[in-house]
Amino acid sequence: MWSDPSAGRSASLAAPPSSSAQAASGPTPGTSDPGPSSSSSSGPPKKPLVKLQRFGACFAKEAVDLNELRELLWSGVPDEADPSVRAKAWQLMLGYLPVHVERQVTGLSKKRREYRELVKDYFERSPEMRSDNENQILRQIRVDIPRTNPGFKFFGDAVMHGIMERTLFIWALRNPASGYVQGINDLITPFLVVFLASYLNKRDEDLHELEISEVPSEVLEHIEADAYWCLSKMLADIQDHYTFGQPGIQRMVLRLKEIVKRIDEALYDHLTNNGLEFLQFSFRWMNCFLMREFPMRCVIRLWDTYIAEQASGFSNFHVYVCAVFLVYWAPQLKMMDFQQMMLFMQKFPTEQWRPQQIETLLAEAYVLKSLFHSSPKHLS
Amino acid sequence: MAKDDDYDYLFKIVLIGDSGVGKSNLLSRFTRDEFNLESKSTIGVEFATKSVPVNGKTIKAQIWDTAGQERYRAITSAYYRGAVGALLVYDISKRQSFENIDRWLKELRDHADPNIVILLVGNKADLKHLRAVTQDEAASFAEQQGLACIETSALDSMNVETAFHRILSEIYNLMSKKTLSDRPEPSRPGGMRGAPIRVDEENTRPPPARSSGGCCR
Repeated sequence: MWSDPSAGRSASLAAPPSSSAQAASGPTPGTSDPGPSSSSSSGPPKKPLVKLQRFGACFAKEAVDLNELRELLWSGVPDEADPSVRAKAWQLMLGYLPVHVERQVTGLSKKRREYRELVKDYFERSPEMRSDNENQILRQIRVDIPRTNPGFKFFGDAVMHGIMERTLFIWALRNPASGYVQGINDLITPFLVVFLASYLNKRDEDLHELEISEVPSEVLEHIEADAYWCLSKMLADIQDHYTFGQPGIQRMVLRLKEIVKRIDEALYDHLTNNGLEFLQFSFRWMNCFLMREFPMRCVIRLWDTYIAEQASGFSNFHVYVCAVFLVYWAPQLKMMDFQQMMLFMQKFPTEQWRPQQIETLLAEAYVLKSLFHSSPKHLS
Repeated sequence: MAKDDDYDYLFKIVLIGDSGVGKSNLLSRFTRDEFNLESKSTIGVEFATKSVPVNGKTIKAQIWDTAGQERYRAITSAYYRGAVGALLVYDISKRQSFENIDRWLKELRDHADPNIVILLVGNKADLKHLRAVTQDEAASFAEQQGLACIETSALDSMNVETAFHRILSEIYNLMSKKTLSDRPEPSRPGGMRGAPIRVDEENTRPPPARSSGGCCR
């Protein structure tokens, strides 16, 4: 039973997730579900080399088996992997890169050509042709781009600003039900970082000082198109997070509230007795998928799993991650009043977090999700 | 963690206005004396507090900084509840942000307390060479609407303290008047502690504060 998930955790977050997660897991994870157990449960310790070989074997097949890839990606691309592994895995899982190896090259060049057409149609029109609404969207995007700063110098470069401006503007025009919403500028950055790392054959951690002028323009064109399509694929499943009233986000906030009430009622009572509303602190968590809470290296690890979860990663599973994240801070939060909690939650002490800590959250979220799904009455 | 409970009154203030006019930097300049040229966009709301002396009392300002984009209004309007003051911010170098003030006023009329004290703030006054809204124009607009107004620069700190101080004093004065008229005997200030003060008496809003030369000057 998930009685006190926070017990003893503050001391052990850096440790592998298996101990507390396994201990707490009553129901067995579904067989079709890849889960943390595949990489971190009992049995031999994690062997990145074995995993690398499995990625390699998975990509080498005539047609990539997405179920197999899903399981591999769910538990994260190992640090030792070639940077192209993650880019490829993301693009395959998102349905951008064709699974049939022989179609991949032509498939990509077709999509990149299509993107160039979109740029012509939507972006390179004369500005006088733009409607008031389009101008307003562009104005908003231009306000946000210079302050999109996920910690890499190159996001301050005019060339990168151009890339973001085109991708975001075209996406907004092609998705009029939501249009551009602040925060979507954050969401394109992991794609840009991962794809740049892949092309330049550098680890994303080594991109911090990258000068964008050193990157060949052809590479930038490819990255731009790939990032555009992958962002589109990702957002296609969560459109109602960004439409009027943002019902998708409201739903997730509500669900978070229910889950927290079930797993840590004392924390729930403390928050509500202090007049704290879940919307006040978790709206941003949902709108930007904790990107404002974690450094990029952690966000990328988080996205391995979300992308592997496919349609439900950025909606359903994310809520469990948020619940585990909130409950993780319960010991501190319970000592605080309204104001202290608000200020604390605006700037969690997570700057130094490593992907291993994200894996702990993911593992616990997985257990929690299995628990709730196997006994939905938990929520009633 | 020390709790700074040492105040006489708590006033809830909201910061509203178009995206990118500098709301978050006004807040960080006022509460922490910080300014960040690359601060990220506000998603949802952010929050900060600062206590300041007004007429010998300690007023704690609880300030809610809201996202400026239209899409967020369905969510941010919930934060107007209980607010006794609003800083309505535009960017003096962005004409559009001034023209949108009307819409923000409507937003307040629809969702906030009818007697909320509003201060019109023309931020980024340091960008003199890019000025797109004159002080006279802002002053006459404010007068028409019965608002006080001021120009600030979160970047070089100009008038930031003054702006917050002005709105807090106005709220305080309004509240004192109301307290006097409601209760012949002075009430214990401690009784107000911890809860936002509602200034809800009709028609008590004083004429716009006129410091030397009127609004914005």
